[in-house]
Amino acid sequence: MVRKIFCGSPEHPISRRGFLGTLAAAAGTAAFADMTALQVLGTPAVSADLRRNQKRCILLWLAGGASQLETWDPKPGAVTGGPFAAIQTVVPGIHISELMPKMAQRIRHTAIIRSLNTRNGDHGGGSRLMMRGRANEAGLAYPDLGAVLARELGRPGSPVPDYVSFYSATEGRYNVTPGSPGFLGARYGSMDLTTSMVPENIRRPSGISDQDHLARAGLRDFLSRGFERGRSSDSLESHNQAYQRVHGIMASERLFDISREPQRIRDQYGPTLFGQQALAARRLVEAGVPFVRVGRAWWDSHGHNFETHEELVPELDHVMATLLDDLEARGLLQNTLVITLAEFGRTPNINSQLGRDHFASAWSCTLSGCGIRGGSVYGRSDPTGNRVIDGEVGAPQIFATIYRALGINHHKNYHVGSRPVPLTDPGTQPIREVLA
Amino acid sequence: MSPRLFCTGLVLTLLPGMASAAELLPPDVPIERAIDHYIDAALKEAKIKPASAADDAALLRRLTLDLNGRIPTPWELDDYLNSKNPGKKTKLVDRLMASPAFVRHQALQFTTFLQAEVPGKKGGQAGGLRDYLQTAFAEKRSWDRIFRELMLPDQSNPKENGASDFLKSRVKDLNRLTIDVSSLFFGVNVSCAQCHDHPHVTDWKQDHFYGMKSFFARTFEKGGFVGERDQGVVKFIPNKGKEKLAKVMFLTGKVVEAPGQVEVPKEKRKKEPPGKTPPAPPKFSLRAKLVELALAPEQRDFFARAMVNRTWHRLFGRGLVMPLDQMHSANPASHPELLQWLARDVVEHEYDLRRLVRGLVLSRAYARSSRWDGEDIPEDKFFAVAQIRALTPMQMAVALRLAGGDPEKMPRTGPELEKYIESVERSAGRLAGMFVQPTDNFQVGVDEAMLFANNENLLKEVFGDGPGSLASRLKQIAEPEKRAELAVRSVLSRPGRSEEIQTLADYLRRRTDRPAAANQQMLWALLASAEFRFNH
Amino acid sequence: MPLTIRTVKEINRRDILFSVARLPRSSRLFLGSSDFKVHDLDVSQNNPQSRELVGHTSYVTGVRLAGQSLISGSYDGKLIWWDLENRRATRTIESAHRRWIRGLAVSPDGTKLASVADDMVCRLWNTTTGVKLHDLAGHAERTPNHFRSMLYVCVFSADGRHLATGDRVGHVKIWDVGTGRQVGSVEAPILYTWDGVQRIRSIGGVRALAFSPDGRQLAVGGVGRIGNVDSVAGPSRVEVFDWARSQRLCEFTGPQGIVNRLQFHPQNDWLFAAGGGSNGFFMFYHTARRAMIQQGNLPMHVHDVTFNEDSSTFYAAGHNKVVVAEIRNSGTIGERGA
Repeated sequence: MVRKIFCGSPEHPISRRGFLGTLAAAAGTAAFADMTALQVLGTPAVSADLRRNQKRCILLWLAGGASQLETWDPKPGAVTGGPFAAIQTVVPGIHISELMPKMAQRIRHTAIIRSLNTRNGDHGGGSRLMMRGRANEAGLAYPDLGAVLARELGRPGSPVPDYVSFYSATEGRYNVTPGSPGFLGARYGSMDLTTSMVPENIRRPSGISDQDHLARAGLRDFLSRGFERGRSSDSLESHNQAYQRVHGIMASERLFDISREPQRIRDQYGPTLFGQQALAARRLVEAGVPFVRVGRAWWDSHGHNFETHEELVPELDHVMATLLDDLEARGLLQNTLVITLAEFGRTPNINSQLGRDHFASAWSCTLSGCGIRGGSVYGRSDPTGNRVIDGEVGAPQIFATIYRALGINHHKNYHVGSRPVPLTDPGTQPIREVLA
Repeated sequence: MSPRLFCTGLVLTLLPGMASAAELLPPDVPIERAIDHYIDAALKEAKIKPASAADDAALLRRLTLDLNGRIPTPWELDDYLNSKNPGKKTKLVDRLMASPAFVRHQALQFTTFLQAEVPGKKGGQAGGLRDYLQTAFAEKRSWDRIFRELMLPDQSNPKENGASDFLKSRVKDLNRLTIDVSSLFFGVNVSCAQCHDHPHVTDWKQDHFYGMKSFFARTFEKGGFVGERDQGVVKFIPNKGKEKLAKVMFLTGKVVEAPGQVEVPKEKRKKEPPGKTPPAPPKFSLRAKLVELALAPEQRDFFARAMVNRTWHRLFGRGLVMPLDQMHSANPASHPELLQWLARDVVEHEYDLRRLVRGLVLSRAYARSSRWDGEDIPEDKFFAVAQIRALTPMQMAVALRLAGGDPEKMPRTGPELEKYIESVERSAGRLAGMFVQPTDNFQVGVDEAMLFANNENLLKEVFGDGPGSLASRLKQIAEPEKRAELAVRSVLSRPGRSEEIQTLADYLRRRTDRPAAANQQMLWALLASAEFRFNH
Repeated sequence: MPLTIRTVKEINRRDILFSVARLPRSSRLFLGSSDFKVHDLDVSQNNPQSRELVGHTSYVTGVRLAGQSLISGSYDGKLIWWDLENRRATRTIESAHRRWIRGLAVSPDGTKLASVADDMVCRLWNTTTGVKLHDLAGHAERTPNHFRSMLYVCVFSADGRHLATGDRVGHVKIWDVGTGRQVGSVEAPILYTWDGVQRIRSIGGVRALAFSPDGRQLAVGGVGRIGNVDSVAGPSRVEVFDWARSQRLCEFTGPQGIVNRLQFHPQNDWLFAAGGGSNGFFMFYHTARRAMIQQGNLPMHVHDVTFNEDSSTFYAAGHNKVVVAEIRNSGTIGERGA
């Protein structure tokens, strides 16, 4: 198992990574001479075809635990059902909460899974479980969904970030940010947007011109390349790769700037932060970012559950519907998977503050778009919603399904040292009924 | 050899690849010679010609980073390069190890090592454990003594109480505690699931895990103190069969007959009221028994080998056994006799950490260049070429401070230099917080590059040209080549090479309308380069 | 003048009761329930079993008597008139509101019904004919943060001339019942907590309203500023206004939780508030003296309360319980009047 050295000369054999690094470096070198010309949304170095067929994922993370009974699995009339009615969707036999009339019209894009039983009703533990598709092992840190998709769907040397996360509320933020690349390493960590819609450290600092900023980077590259000669190390490569990406990422600042969208589109997404961030997510995936998580916190309605959902569900309905419409109109939906997920659902039982508490025994998530058989429902909970009676699945199956929908082989192995670590544990089956 | 050997707990004296005592190099050979003997023998057998020795500047930097957690000053560089003393390397090692910075750096490294796995705790934070380790290392306490003190902390002495942090941060999760102790002190990850798929070994895996956990079963925390009961036992349900009580068993299979092997009902457990003093120790302490066993002649190989392997890993970037917590017969060392020899040596010298460290860094194997002048680089396990290791957060912070400082304002040697270094370290905490603790095969994230490139605070702090800064010194040097040379020496801790000096000088010449900015940009390019970022 | 509150009956239920009305001079209660029914319950019985009035398809949030009729309103948007003898619906207005009805009020002379719903409109109806008299529109459909607002409560003044409505963001409108025109407003924004930082959502609103006997004061109730909007764990809060001058006269806070019901004593001996958080509470407050007379716990989160003719007994309905409680003056009453 001999590693070749990347010594910079095209005559010598170089590692695959090194080769791709050269490509990026070449693009970077050429580009840095005139970075102002770099059109991220129309990068000449990447063909339009490649961009179109690349798979992407947007995760709408309903932090705090949205109620399945007030969204995807209503039980009107049950003692646990609450006051809201259910409405017909455009697919006969499928009903969702009356709080989601827009999604009722668009359910043909969406598969609803109503039979999640994940056994962890703790915000932290549940978040970690549902972001990784499995529980962490002692001594082995698994990468989360964003890290895996950044790795599997991202392009080496990509000028855009590959794992972007929006989480503006403070509550529950640290359950899921910063992203966890685990053993995949910091290369696949998240770019976290919390207090701002624009990433930290993305703007050129004052006191240095564009030209000098680039020239300075070129100087750094030159010095590093000198150091790299005769040295081979993944760590070393990652360092240079990180710097190669700086100007592309700086140029991708415009992706986060939704004021560049026509007012009509901005109006469609609506004036709330969630809507704005969903629009930013669409811009990002359109430019080739493989994974964007929009964290909409905080659904933890221990009191006044119905009023909370009356407030938040119509927003979700509107934002999700707008996002799906927008992706479809741009020809992106067939290659973009849109997920709604959370750390758990909410109790069928209504407490004395008219609230619902944490509940992981029978809850719902949805998958829309890429690789999904829309207009379908998988699994059933009992008439009160207290337990799953058909098609019980846990986090592993959801993740196997996600990977499958995105064309990723969920049996494939990563390696930690010499230990093979499959993407999902052996024997995990995806939910075929919701796959196209 | 079948993995059964490990898990049935037969004595480790004659594992595969192990030489008999008679075949090992004699014990009175200096450590560094033993190391080179075995490393070179393996290289010869594999017909690998190792890399040449690292040059003086590279070795100086590596040693200063490894032993004192910082880069050398330009004075130290000059002095070392100019010295004609044939024993200058040894002298350097002894100087660095005599420095108080050695104790501070080692304490920080061990704090990270001991706390890294604890969720929510950042390695290397100031706190009880670090203070305790500083005291322990300053007093040159042996590793077995430190182990004992971490397992049985003296909680009534405020100077020693920091040792209790190790147990306290894990006592609520005994599985975690068991795995960490086994892994950190014995090199064995007892949650053996990943060890073997062998179906017959299943029972033993569980027995060993719960056997080790049993040593901690009676440990509890109350009122900020760690205590231990007289009774308590671990129950578990084996893969096949009914729930049973675990035996108290060490990794070798040695079972302890302990009194009080009964279950303590939950209600009784909660009765202990919080107090202002540590709870009274039990009549029979399982944790004390663990320490006693772990260091007894038939059992101490685990402890000794893990100590060697971890120290080796820290200095070489790769252990003799990898992964670090998979030290068993199905995973042999790259140099089994060397490991055996070193383990014997540490036992014979009472687990003296300093002695071990000194021996390792004086070897030729340690002092190899990290540059390979050939096509196919040999596998890491041959130690034919030095590993590249990312700087830790504190190393980065201190290095940034030193590199960005005006050499004219730095003391050259002696106590003034020590004081200066200490003050730099004290002010480096915030900067250190901007970096991630590296692990093996560390991947630098793009955030770090963005931070360096664009973060106003960082740029001001490191590259400002106020008084005392290198940038301010550069302003006073007219000739671009001289500025470049000083910059390279200060930042990269080596003399400049003509090609790079020329390139840097050209860069400066093209910016004569903005010399201060040009200087800062040059500094930036050097500080953001890979050469600065890594220990190589 | 301390009061003693004594619970004389506690009836456990499986459902949540949102609204209560009492047939005058009787112990017969009508309760709007989470089981979509109206329950006809005689609380003087030993083990009272309710008789059910079935017709709604969601939570029944308002039940009020108008003469011999019982009228109910529900989240289903319907208003139903009931014959009390045979417990059958005599009139159903299917789409009385576009959205969920949250409360009803009947004018003192029994001729008019007011209903409020989340379509942010209060509607006035003729209780005999069911004909709609007025649409009282003006409450904003969206909160300043762009979310759907809610219209919680409506109440008539004792002389029947005025009606007050209160919404999610703490805005209260006062209307002229005859003309249907708005004649005043007061603001109680503290009752609305918008958390734009931690949880990015809101809680609260004006949940209770009551005119003083002389019609000049308007008490507004809910919950004060809440730090953690995941629950109503904040200080229950009442503000009293001279509504014609839009001037706040006093405010008081009480046990943790939200005020769901307010009522003035007919001779203004006290202002009563009840509500709940995880449990229930009540308060008796003297507005003129600006002093709390009595506050205490009730065994459940209370959604609605009705008093008997001389205000010596109240009937509280709420989470899984109905409670009958007697009020005794422990000392002298003191001055009467405002």
